[in-house]
Amino acid sequence: MRVLYTSLKYLAVVLWSTFVIAPFLWAVSTSFKDFQSVTNGATYIPWVDFEPNLEGWRALWKSPAQGGVDIVEPFFNSVFVTASGSLISIVLGTLAAYALSRFTFKAGFIRNGDITFFFISQRIMPPVVLAIPFFIMLGKFSLLDTLAGLIIVYIVLLMPIAVWIMVDFFNKVPVEIDETALIDGCNPLQAFYKVVLPNSIPGIIVAGMFCMIFGWTDFFFSFILTFTEVQLLPVAIVALNSSITPWWSLSAAALVSVAPLVLVAFIVERYLSKGNLSGALK
Amino acid sequence: MAKIELQNIAHSYNPQSAEQIYALNPFNMTWEDGGRYAILGPSGCGKTTMLNIMSGIVQPSEGNLLFDGVDVTKLSTSERNIAQVFQFPVIYGTMSVEQNLAFPLVCRNYEKPAIDAKVNEVAEALGLQELLTKSASRLTADQKQLISLGRGLVRDDVAAVLMDEPLTVIDPDLKFRLRRQLKEINQKYRSTLIYVTHDQNEAMTFAENVIVMDAGRIVQVGTPKELFERPKTTFVGYFIGAPAMNFFRCERDGDYSLRFGGNTITTQTRLTELSASQLKLGIRSEYIKIVDTIGQNTIPARVKRVEDLGNHKLVSAVSNDLDIKVKVHRDTAIPAEQVHLDLPAENCCVYADEILVQN
Amino acid sequence: MSLIASNLSFKPGNEWHLDNVCFEMSKGQIYTILGRTLAGKTTLLKTLAGLISPDQGTLTLDDRDFGSIPVWKREVAMVYQQFINYPHLSVYENVAFPLKQRRMQSDQIKARVMKALQQVGLDGFENRKIQALSGGQQQRVALARSLVKEASVILLDEPLVNLDYKLREQLREEFRNIFSSEASKDSILIYSSTDPVEAMQLGGQILVMDEGRILQQGTSKEVYENPNCTKVAQITNDPAMNLFEGRVEAGRIILSSEIELELPQHCKRLATGSYIFGMRAAGITLNQTGFPFSVELSEISGSETFLHIRHEMIGVVGLLDSVQNFNTGEVVRVQFDTMQLYVFDQNEQLVSSPYCGLE
Repeated sequence: MRVLYTSLKYLAVVLWSTFVIAPFLWAVSTSFKDFQSVTNGATYIPWVDFEPNLEGWRALWKSPAQGGVDIVEPFFNSVFVTASGSLISIVLGTLAAYALSRFTFKAGFIRNGDITFFFISQRIMPPVVLAIPFFIMLGKFSLLDTLAGLIIVYIVLLMPIAVWIMVDFFNKVPVEIDETALIDGCNPLQAFYKVVLPNSIPGIIVAGMFCMIFGWTDFFFSFILTFTEVQLLPVAIVALNSSITPWWSLSAAALVSVAPLVLVAFIVERYLSKGNLSGALK
Repeated sequence: MAKIELQNIAHSYNPQSAEQIYALNPFNMTWEDGGRYAILGPSGCGKTTMLNIMSGIVQPSEGNLLFDGVDVTKLSTSERNIAQVFQFPVIYGTMSVEQNLAFPLVCRNYEKPAIDAKVNEVAEALGLQELLTKSASRLTADQKQLISLGRGLVRDDVAAVLMDEPLTVIDPDLKFRLRRQLKEINQKYRSTLIYVTHDQNEAMTFAENVIVMDAGRIVQVGTPKELFERPKTTFVGYFIGAPAMNFFRCERDGDYSLRFGGNTITTQTRLTELSASQLKLGIRSEYIKIVDTIGQNTIPARVKRVEDLGNHKLVSAVSNDLDIKVKVHRDTAIPAEQVHLDLPAENCCVYADEILVQN
Repeated sequence: MSLIASNLSFKPGNEWHLDNVCFEMSKGQIYTILGRTLAGKTTLLKTLAGLISPDQGTLTLDDRDFGSIPVWKREVAMVYQQFINYPHLSVYENVAFPLKQRRMQSDQIKARVMKALQQVGLDGFENRKIQALSGGQQQRVALARSLVKEASVILLDEPLVNLDYKLREQLREEFRNIFSSEASKDSILIYSSTDPVEAMQLGGQILVMDEGRILQQGTSKEVYENPNCTKVAQITNDPAMNLFEGRVEAGRIILSSEIELELPQHCKRLATGSYIFGMRAAGITLNQTGFPFSVELSEISGSETFLHIRHEMIGVVGLLDSVQNFNTGEVVRVQFDTMQLYVFDQNEQLVSSPYCGLE
């Protein structure tokens, strides 16, 4: 009975892993194919089913005039927008979260919990609802199709995530630690950055990771709010899906777009598994 | 209810390697059906590990666990039929007291009349009848703790109730109320109660038998009286009793006599064949009497400080550089600075290399 | 130098956390705030620290308005019952933190930190991480941080309650030695506790607190001998003082149809009427010619036995000087030592005590 149960458990794990990993492997394999290997029926294993080449990858930094797809600029645009948006969101979000966690706010019937909910409610609305107001507002300030405009929109989208995670984190930091800092001669601001902040690094890292993931993978807003001047990576990749789709370059570009996230996840996972998150505070 | 046997149980952090580091050294222990036990020791002595082995939270690296002769070592917690009470009360705050108590039975698909009967019986035993319809979240800490216990008791197949410092969050003057209810439950249901604590008062007042542990070993098993009067090691003498037992380094001076700090004291322990490198005399501060004349077993001393503990006074005295604590009644008059302390022979324990000499 | 609180009140919701608190404390002394959980002890300490602003009342230290100084400029130190330290800093950096905050020179900081660490017995631990310390050591670090500042007011909020029993005993002794030494001659030390024995043992003054009010302030001896009301009598004794209602008629105390006591000398002046009588456990002992009581619970604690007994409406706890076993329900004969009788009026105020402080 126990043996059967265990085998079923492992079978489920294997099935699910296959389901998750297969598309990824498929993309890796496709990125090394050429026109022939893609169109002449399904091929799987390099050197056996098809002859791998690097054309798909080389095309990534060749200009369209040279027959490439050039995603270098969109890539760095994405890096810039995501990094600045995340950074500003984390800074503002952490401060807001600390205030929400430590001080009591009253405005009519509104309390701390309502304010926190207000932040999160930004993410409850379907993006479409926000898209038109954003479009009009950015248009008014001539920020459409600019990096600055995108960063502002990303801050609006990412800060709720930072606030949400950090409020929860700060609530778990005993308020007595802040109080001890005050008693030891820190003013409230010093208590925050000398004592609370150094002990909140794990929370900030988690919040930062979520901001980067959501920022990096956003397609909808960057698609609507940019046209020709500025292009972000997800939009650039989707744009490849034209009349004659270069599946090899598309796959390679998709893998490039995933790479930073894999790297971040890897580093953060190493950091968290060292016990830094749980060990910092009891 | 069941008799619980631990056979050669041990738990090590590195069961594979040759030099094992034990959290719990190999031991044998039998918990009689219906007994009331306390496991007592300082933090990190292995007492919680022992409890967790019985409840199934921890798998011992060696040995077997038997409930009424049946090996349950490999069974999970839920298959073992034990009730557990933790430091902090575990209650379902959204439910009434009644629903809380009924929950384990509802989960096991009992019939409604059977549930009601059992819940009422347990509520009565715990003195919770009047609270049955109240919301569990509105109760005091000791009432919540009773509910945690009650949820364990409604199941009629419970082998033992295991408690891990259940009185931590209870106010001192409510503690006794809960202790009394625990004892009544024990007498009524004949359930085996095993109670883990670091507080000697709780262990002594609660249990028929106390298991004293230190550094992963059982040091002594005995009734509160035995532990108090004849501690088997100096550790037990130190750990049990407030203040700790007085100990003096000494030398043998005849078949029954010891010499320390220029005094000779007669004991009831035969010391003739003793070949220990180090001898100690142990005596409880409660048994030492302050007298004004020299007698058979008296030593001269100087009173250094007298503390008022309410019902008692704690006298700190010095005799030839040895510190001695004496506990006397509040109304005992403490004579001038120089006194004589009487150490009754029947209360003197002799320790050879930290272990009680028995004969 | 003295710290004076007048009319401190704090009522955040429907309940008073501080209700018109007044006291005067002077330098170089220990004050113990004794009360049950939620009596307002922590609120009071936080108010003194400046972490809570009271709705009303003033605080002055040496005729300066203390209450209007922000926390970070008040010369206070506080140790919490949870082990609160800065987890990201080493032991040395933790203790040095308040001095660095004052921009003291680093060689001066070093000298004072080392001295404080030595006082709490942590020399050699400077570079340890906080998480690598045991609970007792963490609390020592917190204590060192409170000593190093040489603050004028040091607040200790049940600092030992989360430690093992034996460790608590040891640290309590060390605390008293540290605070009676030179180091704290210039400080006012305020310690909060739920444990009457702890309060007695610390010596100094006791402030008994309940429901946000200070019920009584006095030396430990005064509070023990003449508790001014029934609440104080209960809070300052473990087990709580036995209270039972009765009448004084024709020179006798009538507790029930069967129990009548002689009026002792110190109560002779009592007028006829109903009273609440109080007696500590030690005043209730066994005697062949005594009154019949049935045993509800007997608890052995080393050399003594606590006997929970009942006669009709009168439920009391007696203390026997020996170890004896009783069965629940067994009838024992009990004697009340009227020389130890306290009498409270219907408003629960003390009217007569064996120590006759109040008349």
